[in-house]
Amino acid sequence: MKLYAWGALAQGVVLESVRRKDLWVVAILGFLIMMAAGTLGFFGMQGLQIFVKDLSVSVLGMFSTIVAILTAARMLPDEIKQRTLYPLLARPISRFDLIIGKTIGSVLVSWIAFLVLAALTGIALLTFHVKFEPIMLQYLLCKMMGLALTCSLAVALSAYMTPAAGATMSFILVFGSSMITRATMMAYIGAAPELKPVIRIFTAIFPEFTLFDLGGRVANLNWAPVPVWVVLFLFGYMFFYSSSFLGLAWLKFRRQAV
Amino acid sequence: MEYPESRTSKAAPLGEVAIRVDHLAVQYRSKVRSVEAVRDLSFEVREGEVVGFLGPNGAGKSSTIKALIGFLSPAAGTCQIFGLKAGTLEAKATIGYLPEVATYYPFLTPLETLKLYGKLQCLKGPSLDREAKELLSLVGLEQAIRKQNRALSKGMLQRVGIAQSLLGNPRLLILDEVTSGLDPVGRRQLRQILKDRQKKGATLFFSSHELSEVEGICDRILLIDKGSLIDERVVLDLKDALRKYSLRFTGDAPMFGLAQQWSESDGNWIAEFADKERLLEGIDRVTSAGGKVLDVVSQEGSLEDYFVETIGRAA
Repeated sequence: MKLYAWGALAQGVVLESVRRKDLWVVAILGFLIMMAAGTLGFFGMQGLQIFVKDLSVSVLGMFSTIVAILTAARMLPDEIKQRTLYPLLARPISRFDLIIGKTIGSVLVSWIAFLVLAALTGIALLTFHVKFEPIMLQYLLCKMMGLALTCSLAVALSAYMTPAAGATMSFILVFGSSMITRATMMAYIGAAPELKPVIRIFTAIFPEFTLFDLGGRVANLNWAPVPVWVVLFLFGYMFFYSSSFLGLAWLKFRRQAV
Repeated sequence: MEYPESRTSKAAPLGEVAIRVDHLAVQYRSKVRSVEAVRDLSFEVREGEVVGFLGPNGAGKSSTIKALIGFLSPAAGTCQIFGLKAGTLEAKATIGYLPEVATYYPFLTPLETLKLYGKLQCLKGPSLDREAKELLSLVGLEQAIRKQNRALSKGMLQRVGIAQSLLGNPRLLILDEVTSGLDPVGRRQLRQILKDRQKKGATLFFSSHELSEVEGICDRILLIDKGSLIDERVVLDLKDALRKYSLRFTGDAPMFGLAQQWSESDGNWIAEFADKERLLEGIDRVTSAGGKVLDVVSQEGSLEDYFVETIGRAA
C-alpha cells in the first residue's frame, strides 16, 4: 500500500514538473551544449576530445544538480504555502509517506533532466567521434545516485529553512563538497589537539558528494571501469545518507502544525 | 433577547459517536508569544447527524477541524473519530475532508487530482476512474474534467474540493467553509448532495458563514466564540424559539407582562408574542375583555439575529 501511495505522490510531482515546463530549461541547455560542440567540430578541433568531454560532463553534472536542488527544495514548503497539503494529509497516509513520495518525485524529475541532457550531450559528442566506454554507464549510474542524495539533502534542509535558504545551503554543500573537505583537512593539520577529534567526527559525518562524480574518469581516455564493489559501496553510502536526511526532515515535519 | 433553553445533544439520534472532542485546547506558539485558539472545548457528534459549526472569524472553528484531522496536536484534551484517536491512519480512513481554502495542484486536471487522492486511499484501477468521473459529474464538472486546475474558477475549484471529499464514500464528512465560492445553483446542488449523503448514513460536520445553508441542512448547531463553545442547539428547537407571533385585535385587552410590544394602528391593536403559550394567553385576555381577534400571524425568526445576539452576549 505504501509503495502505491509513494508512487501516486511521485507521479503527481513528475506530471506537475513536466507540465510546468521546468524541464524545458534542460532541453534548451542540452541544445546549447550540442551547438557548442558542433561549432568546435565545425572548426576542426577533433583533437580536443578530452577538453570537450570534460566540459560536457561538467555542464551535465552542474545543470542536473541545479534541477535536483531547485525541485526538491520547494517540495514541502510549496505544499504548505499553497495549502495543497491539506487534502493530501487528510488521506490515510503518514507525514513520512508524504516526505518519501515527494522526494521520490523530485528524484525522478532530476533523473529525467539528467538523462535528457546526457542523451543530448551524447549526440553532441558523436560529432567528435567519441567512443562510448562502459565507464560512461557507470558515470550515469553513480551520478543518478548522487542526484538522489542531493534531493534528500535539499528536502531535509527545506524542512528546517525557507526554500531559498534551503536551496542555497544545498548548493554550497553539494558544489562545495570537495572544497569543504579540503578546508577541513587543512584545519585538522593546524588544529589544537583537543579539537582534532571534533574535526575527525565532522569529516566522518559530512557527506562527500564528489564520490558520485566519475566525470574526471570519463573525460580522460583509457580509464577502466571502477570495480563493482565500489558502485555497491556508493549505493550503500547514498542509501545511508539519504535515509538520514529524510529521517531528519521527518523529525521536523512530523509534529509541525500545518 | 434571551432565547429559551432548548434540547441539546440529548435530542441527537442514538448512533455511535462519530466525533468526540473532550476538553480540547489548541495553542499556536511562536518565539514571541503563544495564542490560545481553542480552550476547553467539548462536544459530541453522533453518527448520522448533520451538525453545523458556527462562529465569527477567528473563533477557533478551523483550528478545531485541524485538530480533528490531525493537522495539529492539541495542547490539551483529546479528539476521537469513531472512537479512534484523531489523526491516526485508521481515523483518517473514515473521513472525507474539504479544506477551508480550495487549492489543488494547478497543472493537474480535476480527474487527475481525484485519481491522485483516490490512490492515497487505496482506490485503484477502473473503479477509481469511474468513481472520480461520477463525482465530478455530480458536482457539475463533467465538461471540465480535462482542463487544468489553474484554468478553473474559484467556484469550480470548490466543486473539485467537494468531489475529492466524497471519494471512497466516507462515513464522516468534515467540511470547512463548505459554500465558499459557490453560486446559488452550486449551493442548491451541494445541499442536495449533502442530503443524499446523509440519507446514505454519512455524518456531516461543517463550518459555514452561510446561516441560511446551516438552517436548511443541519440537525444541530454548535456555536463557538473565542475558542469556547457558547451555545448548542437543535435547529428545529431554535427555529421554534426564534418564531414570533403577532395578534391583531379590537378592544382594550391588557397586555402588560405578556406581549413583547404592542401598538395601535387604524383603531386596532397589534401585539407581538415570543411564544405560542403567551399568544394563547393573549387571545384569552382579548376575548375575556370583550375584544375581538382579527388576525394571528406567525413570523419566522432570523438565525442571523440569534447569531449576532448570542455572540454579542458572550463577548
